Amino acid sequence: MFTRTSFLVVALSILGGALLTPLLAPEEAQAIPAFARKYNTNCMDCHTAPPILNAFGQRFLENGYQLPGTEDGGSTGKKKLSDLNLDDVNHYLGFRLIGNVTNSWRFKQQNPPGADAGTVENKTEFSFPNNFVVFAGGTVAKNVGFFVELGHDVAEGGAEVERGFVTFNNLGYRDLAHLRVGKFDPNTFSSYATVRQQLGEIGESQRGNCTAFAPCAFNRVGLAPSAFATKFYGLYDRSGNALSPFAASLFNSGAETGVDIHGRPFGDWFLYQVGVLNGSHEHLSDSNKGKDVYGMVRFDYAKSNFFSASLSGFIYQGNSNAKVQTEEDVNWNRYGLSARATYMMVDVYAAYSVDKINKTPMGVAGLFDSTATGLTIGADTYVTNQTLVSFRYDNLDAGGMLDQRTSASFIGLQAKHFLRANLAIFARGDFNLRQSEGGETAARNLRHAFFSGIDVVF
Amino acid sequence: MRIHALVAIGASLLMLSGASFVHAVKPEDNQATREKGKQIYEHACLLCHGVDGRGDGPAGWFLSRYEGPRPRDFRGGSYKFRSTPSGELPIDQDLFRTVTQGISGHMPPYSGLSEEERWQVIAYIKSFNQGFKGPVSIALLLPNPPGPPSAAGIDNGRTVYIKYGCQNCHGDNGYGDGKEALDGNLKDTYGHTISPGDLTERASFKGGSSAQAIYRGIMTGLDGTPMPSYADTIGGNDKDVWDLVYYILSLSQERQ
Repeated sequence: MFTRTSFLVVALSILGGALLTPLLAPEEAQAIPAFARKYNTNCMDCHTAPPILNAFGQRFLENGYQLPGTEDGGSTGKKKLSDLNLDDVNHYLGFRLIGNVTNSWRFKQQNPPGADAGTVENKTEFSFPNNFVVFAGGTVAKNVGFFVELGHDVAEGGAEVERGFVTFNNLGYRDLAHLRVGKFDPNTFSSYATVRQQLGEIGESQRGNCTAFAPCAFNRVGLAPSAFATKFYGLYDRSGNALSPFAASLFNSGAETGVDIHGRPFGDWFLYQVGVLNGSHEHLSDSNKGKDVYGMVRFDYAKSNFFSASLSGFIYQGNSNAKVQTEEDVNWNRYGLSARATYMMVDVYAAYSVDKINKTPMGVAGLFDSTATGLTIGADTYVTNQTLVSFRYDNLDAGGMLDQRTSASFIGLQAKHFLRANLAIFARGDFNLRQSEGGETAARNLRHAFFSGIDVVF
Repeated sequence: MRIHALVAIGASLLMLSGASFVHAVKPEDNQATREKGKQIYEHACLLCHGVDGRGDGPAGWFLSRYEGPRPRDFRGGSYKFRSTPSGELPIDQDLFRTVTQGISGHMPPYSGLSEEERWQVIAYIKSFNQGFKGPVSIALLLPNPPGPPSAAGIDNGRTVYIKYGCQNCHGDNGYGDGKEALDGNLKDTYGHTISPGDLTERASFKGGSSAQAIYRGIMTGLDGTPMPSYADTIGGNDKDVWDLVYYILSLSQERQ
């Protein structure tokens, strides 16, 4: 029953989207995102599959939104404020609406049964694409760039500046050092950038009414890249809120406030990045203790034959950046590798990270596994000019409180069809590889999940 | 208009059409210039055009994916954007114009490089093709546009558009939806399917959307694509060419 109903909902949604979108988006409405508008080029100059960058887009980003090899400050020139018109604004503004319009979950048994309202064992629901983002970016002068991203969670309500920073580029000499100051994604330049995913993150469903520094179980686990995830069960922020093992964190947090320098002082084959942040989860009150520091190096090959490859290694050193349930501080660190190879239509990437908590607190000694690992392998390939097929494998070897932790392994598959350059519909399935291991934890009970959604950029 | 006639007035046209470009301080094309150009190329151009200029840089495939156009293979002779007769290599000013203006919808403008840097990288790009060591091609003459377009002239341009079969590729109303395009018959020299220009959208005019740029495209064609040179056909009747140019511009008038 589940399969038939859910499949019908998903199929109808995709079909409806395919039929309706040409009506909703007439020819005149075609638009391209801000940087492409600014340079009068197309998205694919910089992307393999938006939002994932190709080698050219990576260099454009590294250079503070200036074309690689230039210090152009934006080649369209600057105007007096009084001379600006909407076309000029178009060169700096972009919008993205992305999210699922249907969500179908299949559980062996909810934990606890019926945890989500209206749920028995299976659940299918419609939703509005939950993420609407407005971003502005570009250059204000030669070698001075900026980026501001305002995100609105349609389901949860509210808006916040997800990322916002200023860049000062080519300090010293070209590509020696680029400085970012503000709230940014630390893992922007490694071989597998956190915020550039084809399979979007699906948040976990956490059991409500969790009290501070008390175990907080899940109704449903999240579907997120394991290498980027928190990985530990039983970690808390400084206010006692439980940290989700499936949420992006540390070097891969998506956005933290700090200062960051990167550059290619020895040529295109080598990139370095170092930075200091207020903390791993600043919005979760980790800004009043010691600063966190990180470093990343990346080795590149990008010359010919439509081929490029890179290998990155990173270290993130936390400083009293989390607590355990006994309210003792821990230094939570991460070490990792990521790699990527792109050949024509195929883009393969992977990340492996080890999270380590130095000195397990006495209060949880013997009850807490202080090491956790995450592996994520992804691939995208265009099977036609308009259709992108994506794959992701995740293995979370969880750490933390031994009585809570449950490892998880999922495979996700997605087909995304671009109706236009800036409008895509997608269907996705995620499958639990450890369902046969049984148990009553959320990581085992969730069997399959299916989603369909849209991705609109303009 | 015959080739010789075009050549005869080419120099004066170049002074007009390329006026803003030939002011650049052009360094001597020697080894030192090419070395500097190579350094620029490796930062700015290599990622699409490849280390050997084959058009196979790591970002190049994604520009059009399974279709065309791909980044220029500098080793071959089929340069699209020229002021020289079909089949010949471009002159330096053509390359300078392309580097500076970019190619709408495909290549960003590199006006952020200094003029000297652009000349240096052009010197390096030319080193990929031995043909550039031969005699310099002579640019076709691009006359000044006549006075403002008239309704009668635009009507005649429509007649010329049909007479020479432009609609077969560009479509009856210029949307780029001609039968040849819809049937997928338009291929570039590499066998990749390519799309004809949407003449109703000036931002998509790859060679530029000025009257002279359109004139140049008609007279020289876009080598390596199905767009031929009409210098030996319509070229004999300059009025028809300009009427056609103004008719093409009229297709996008309402969208400006």
